[in-house]
Amino acid sequence: MSNISLSDVRKAYTKSAPPAVDRLNLEIPKSDFLCLLGPSGCGKTTTLRMIAGLEHPTEGSITVGGNTLVSVEDGVYVPADKRNMGLVFQNYALWPHMSVAQNVEFGLKLRKTGKAERDRIVAKVLEKLGIARYRDRLPSQLSGGQQQRVALARMLALKPDVILLDEPLSNLDAKLRLEMRAELKRIHQEIGATVVFVTHDQWEAMTLATTIAVMSEGELQQLGTPDDIYERPANRFVAEFVGNLPINIIELGEGTKGPLTDWARALLAPLALPQPAGSVGIRPESVQLVSQAEGETRPARVIDIVPTGGSWIVELAVDTDSFHAITPQAPQVTPGGMVGLSVAHEHLHIFDAAGNRAQTP
Amino acid sequence: MTRFGRNLYQARVHNQDPTTLIGIGLVVLFCYLIAAPVVLLLMDAFLVQFADQVRAQQAMGEATLYYINRVFFSAISQDVFWRPLLHTALIALCAIVLALAVGLPLGWLISRTDLPGRKWFSTALIVPYMLPSWTFALAWMTLFKNRTTGGSASWMESLGFAPPDWLAYGFLPITLILALHYTPFVILLFGNALRQFDSSLEDAARSVGASGGTIAGKIILPLMLPSLVSAATLIFAKCLGDFGVTYILGVPVGFDVLATSLFRAISTNQTGMSALLALTIVVLGSFSILIDMYLLKEARRFVVIGSKGSMNRVTRLGGWRLPAFGFAGLVFVISAFIPLMALFLTTVMKVPGVFSPENFTLEFWVGTGLGTVALQQGILLTPEFWRATWNTLWIVGVASLGAGFLGLIVGYVVARTEVKAVALFLRQVTFLPYLVPGIAFAAAYLSMFAVQRGPVPALYGTPIILVLAIMADQMPFASRAGISSMMQLGRDPEEAARNVGAGFLKRLTAVVMPIQKGALVSGVLLPFISGIKGLSLVVVLAVPGTDVLTTYALRLVDYGMAQASNAVMLMICVIAFGGTMLVQRLTKSKLSDGLGGN
Repeated sequence: MSNISLSDVRKAYTKSAPPAVDRLNLEIPKSDFLCLLGPSGCGKTTTLRMIAGLEHPTEGSITVGGNTLVSVEDGVYVPADKRNMGLVFQNYALWPHMSVAQNVEFGLKLRKTGKAERDRIVAKVLEKLGIARYRDRLPSQLSGGQQQRVALARMLALKPDVILLDEPLSNLDAKLRLEMRAELKRIHQEIGATVVFVTHDQWEAMTLATTIAVMSEGELQQLGTPDDIYERPANRFVAEFVGNLPINIIELGEGTKGPLTDWARALLAPLALPQPAGSVGIRPESVQLVSQAEGETRPARVIDIVPTGGSWIVELAVDTDSFHAITPQAPQVTPGGMVGLSVAHEHLHIFDAAGNRAQTP
Repeated sequence: MTRFGRNLYQARVHNQDPTTLIGIGLVVLFCYLIAAPVVLLLMDAFLVQFADQVRAQQAMGEATLYYINRVFFSAISQDVFWRPLLHTALIALCAIVLALAVGLPLGWLISRTDLPGRKWFSTALIVPYMLPSWTFALAWMTLFKNRTTGGSASWMESLGFAPPDWLAYGFLPITLILALHYTPFVILLFGNALRQFDSSLEDAARSVGASGGTIAGKIILPLMLPSLVSAATLIFAKCLGDFGVTYILGVPVGFDVLATSLFRAISTNQTGMSALLALTIVVLGSFSILIDMYLLKEARRFVVIGSKGSMNRVTRLGGWRLPAFGFAGLVFVISAFIPLMALFLTTVMKVPGVFSPENFTLEFWVGTGLGTVALQQGILLTPEFWRATWNTLWIVGVASLGAGFLGLIVGYVVARTEVKAVALFLRQVTFLPYLVPGIAFAAAYLSMFAVQRGPVPALYGTPIILVLAIMADQMPFASRAGISSMMQLGRDPEEAARNVGAGFLKRLTAVVMPIQKGALVSGVLLPFISGIKGLSLVVVLAVPGTDVLTTYALRLVDYGMAQASNAVMLMICVIAFGGTMLVQRLTKSKLSDGLGGN
């Protein structure tokens, strides 16, 4: 029942500056693992903080599990300390003067939980997160990964309805990231709470989330599964933001011309689109490289080949335009040689003149 | 309905966090405790006072230039203003030159050389600054005074040498004492600047072929200049407000500076004139502070982006080690050892300066039936002494507790409030007493609290006025400490507490206060030490019933009781020195960080 709903939420810090968040409508089903993804300054952290109650919206309403927490029109505002939200800060925000156990216990004390019960819960969550032996240490005596576990334990001890995470993996090294990713997934499955987290890191978003909300300049760009976001970006911003290597965008608007544009127009011609396309995006990984220029392919010169461990980035020149491809096998050419390009129709991301995804027939 | 809803929403949002409300409360409080007295002082200087109605030929309360005429242009202006101004300027100038001459080499020796006992000296040479400046005036009196002022004999007299007046009183000893007292300023500021100096800049100069002299003159000196000017302006501001030294060594022979002239005007109830004199000191003090702030801002342009090159390079003194050691040792002996020993030995001698065994006695500490007018028993048996000690501890204690907590709350509000105007005003109003020398601030407090105002009765003669004045006077340091520690704290720990359900008070008491424990301790202790030492503020506001140790010591000086006043002075020194060391130990900080206190 604990679905989160944001409707027409707007947050403007000052009257003159553009709002940090604008016209945000978001429905988060119960037990969802939702990621707010976007570049820095897109309003994702502000959104998270508004759900937690650390910022108040200028307009709109927020309900959680049927309870209205914020409604500007109806004069409802539940302060942060009265919402049962488990927030984990990016830098963990452990209280430096309290031991690990005291950090975890603090919220329980505030709820007037009995001493025996407190001890039981603290022992249980510390055990669950594998940090029981550090219970009497101060946060300054712990490593970054251990501190994050304490922050998680502190949050879990209160059995929150909603878990909010601010860049949960960004401060960790590669090995710990994998470990903590598994940990977060396990926690999510175990307690079934709704999780909302923010990140600017698409790897973090793709690997953790069941749903991703891509934001830019305070507005929601697309809401969907990781597959949706990657395979069917709703607009050019999403297409360009998501993907390890930036997507190749080919402008098709009126008056544009050039070798790539001509090629793309030829590719689109058989599709008989209802209206002319504004641009088309081709992911580097969906480009097929053929060794000889033949048939449907477009010849291109190989400028450089960059091995990235398991795959190869191929920098190409289509006459005067540059283009990128990623191949899972080492290309059988050397820089300076010619290859042929081909792209399957289903891998063409077609956008209208406004940059929104065009309906393909 | 929606308008009502929106208003309700705004009210609920603001209601969750009373920070701004507390801020507004603080604004009102400091308007009352700091701004109002200073404004009243300003008005007193330009409105006819009750006693001056006939001479000014105007009714009480009318605007007047009478006091301007009287202070700056009348027949007495020479005595009340111009000559004291000249004295003040000369003393400050000479003290600055002398302090720089002694302090610069010492600052360099301590920060950048292999001087023997460098670490010990870095504390020992700062001792004069930890003690009240007029400690050394008392010591000087003990050693050099002559029959011009009477009282018990000085050491010089006992040794059969009558010091001439120019050596015993006035310009020479006052300048010397102030110079020695403020030399630590130069040592600390210059030494710190040298220590932070990036020695890779020297290397760079050397690599393009600069000689040692060129490096010193063209690279180091220009970069050090701001710290030197800063030290000089600080010393100027301090000399301007220094009251005790001249009161002891100048006033008995008619040698006045601005601070003592102001004190005389206050103690003879010339309200209008004292207000104007106080304002003059404030204006001069503000100028020096503004110059200092401007130069510090300029200096920031020079900030060299930090690098690992800022390591401390030690210059080997070689054959100069011993002479350098001798120099540092000599400065210590003159500026700390001799004065304190002289004070101490006087208290255990019947006739000062006579070193024969039967002359030594403990009767000034614990004796009975001394037969002098002012003091019948040894100081430790005198009830007035214990009363003064008790007064000092509780008055200064309450004031510094207040200052420490208020400072932290000011810091909290300044760091957290969304209303920038409140933050800005609090910053400025709590800084205001810094521009007002103690004696002028005391004058302002008299303007404000000597009469009944609204529901508040006249507070003069009560300990409350002392508590309030000392607390307000310490706010610049307390609030600056509070603001900087709250700024460093960041919002996260508090927001985390909010998230687990802690309300405002709980966050303050369970999270903010415990984290800021260290800042709070030093925010209370530093004002306490400063308040114990302080004289110029309390000398105006204390009456015999509310004597604190400093005013009690001064009263004993007035009675000519050298031994007793020295004994009290030693007690003050012990508390001040011990407290300073305690703070340094507790906060693991250097005195230089808190530089600028009294």
